Amino acid sequence: MSDRPAPAVEAVDVHKSFDRGLVRALDGLTLTVAAGEYVALSGPSGCGKSTFLHLLAALDRPESGTLRVHGHDLTALDDANRYRREQIGLVFQLHNLLPHLSALDNVEIAMLGTRRSRHQQRDRALELLTAVDLGGLAQRRPPELSGGERQRVALARALANHPRLLLADEPTGSLDSASVQLVLDLLGQLRDREHVTILVVTHDPVVAAAADRTIHLSDGHVAGEDTTEPLRERDSTSRSVA
Amino acid sequence: MSFLWLITHNVWSKKARSVLTAIAIAIGVMAVVALGIVTHSVRATAAGVLEVGKADFTVAQRNVSDILESALTEQQLARVRAVPGVASAVGVLLDTERLDAQHPLVVQIGIAPQDLTPFGVRMVAGRPFGATAAGEMLVGSHLAQDLDVQLGQRINLAGGPKTVVGIFATGNVFGDSAVMFPLVPFQAFERQPGGLSLFFVKTDHGASIATVEHRVEQSSPVLAAIRNLTEFGQADRNYQLITAVDRAATIVAIAIGAIIVANTMLLSLVERYREFGILRAVGWSRRRVVALVLGEALTISLGGAAAGVGLAYVLTRILARLPDLAGILEPTYTAGVFGRALITAAAVAFLGALYPATRAARLAPLEALRRE
Repeated sequence: MSDRPAPAVEAVDVHKSFDRGLVRALDGLTLTVAAGEYVALSGPSGCGKSTFLHLLAALDRPESGTLRVHGHDLTALDDANRYRREQIGLVFQLHNLLPHLSALDNVEIAMLGTRRSRHQQRDRALELLTAVDLGGLAQRRPPELSGGERQRVALARALANHPRLLLADEPTGSLDSASVQLVLDLLGQLRDREHVTILVVTHDPVVAAAADRTIHLSDGHVAGEDTTEPLRERDSTSRSVA
Repeated sequence: MSFLWLITHNVWSKKARSVLTAIAIAIGVMAVVALGIVTHSVRATAAGVLEVGKADFTVAQRNVSDILESALTEQQLARVRAVPGVASAVGVLLDTERLDAQHPLVVQIGIAPQDLTPFGVRMVAGRPFGATAAGEMLVGSHLAQDLDVQLGQRINLAGGPKTVVGIFATGNVFGDSAVMFPLVPFQAFERQPGGLSLFFVKTDHGASIATVEHRVEQSSPVLAAIRNLTEFGQADRNYQLITAVDRAATIVAIAIGAIIVANTMLLSLVERYREFGILRAVGWSRRRVVALVLGEALTISLGGAAAGVGLAYVLTRILARLPDLAGILEPTYTAGVFGRALITAAAVAFLGALYPATRAARLAPLEALRRE
């Protein structure tokens, strides 16, 4: 028997097509992601990575197959909004922040309508902005922040409601290399700090290498996977080598 | 962050658009409120004459365009006095005349001297006029004070100079701003011998006023009994016309306001597709998105309504000072007037924002996020 924790994501024979079936985005996709894992989804354009991410975020529905996130059956979800609010954190390639709100308000907006008091919302938003090293820029609006800073605000917003699964679609796609490394470091740190499972869609081998495991997709199904040495082990190894 | 703060912030972040929309709504609300104030004031002024006689109800000619133009006769008065339940009925002949620029519409009342006391008139100075004294008149205490009239002074009204022989009070501002002449000479001046305008009826103690009103109306098809402002509104055609114009203007103002709000919110919707997609993606429900859009429209509309009420106040004060309207339009600012502003603003916001709000809520998050 495996000693791996119960799966955070369980996809079995998932199908999804567009343009009345002409484009098969997912074609019998089957994969499992364990709770607490940091997984990269890689593959060529059009292989179904983003489509799978959208299904996991309940932004779209699979046509057939089984898709569960922490036990929630996404093919029969009653309240997708609540699921997104309580279970999922989303980070997009373009940060998708509201330009007229401050960084702090952009994080807080994800908590509107939750049971947290205004005071608790503010505390949580400040806590997360501090965690992504933006505590001093909380009152700045997105146009006043750099690309990397915006993406870190987006990361803080995605974690606002203590999601169990963080979904990131090309989160470093529009960043320079220094910012990429910063965001990757943060993802690793936040995984430990927030006890969150991370699924990152990426083309970038650097981003994929930061994950525990990389799943390669091709033509809508799993084509293979690489297991990366866990970051902590790599860190300790590199330290001991040094 | 609170939801209300977000609504206010969103409205404020588009200052120019919000202010322009609010101005348009303010103009609509100003029109609605000013018309409401004018209509109410005109009714209160015109109906004031009914309250002079301290009667249980007043009788006028049915279907008359202006109640002051009501044409009745002394024979009809005699029949009304004979109606069971009528204790007394005083007949008066009314007209209006310009005295000077400050008093463009002085109400003249022709009344028999023996009817002065039943009519509720109390002499505060001098004496009553004689029944056939064509050169005598009484001046209401309010007007007398306003004109600084002294007993024995001559005033040029009703066809020539008349001597003020007494100053009276009725306890009613409208009545105390009027002048009185002996009925018979006044009928002669008006070329209406035996003619009257209104009957002021008092009922027997314990009698049902409504029943007596009904009997009076049954006694002659040309008679209309008026007990309150509502019945006055039904009897006076001019007032009906003003009321109809007022209602039509309100509907037009709401329709135009709603179109302006809809236009603004739809434009805003197109610009904010992505924003709504983000909100839905982070877990906002459709209902919350609808509430956001409606809340923003309501905030703009209420801002417009507040400005509109202020503008209406200024406008009606200016109107009341115009030479042609001085003394006719006495603006009264009731809670109902401000209620109209609120209802108008709420209706404009709801009607104008409902469609954009529904469209915003219906946006699929994924589709909205893809839009630029």
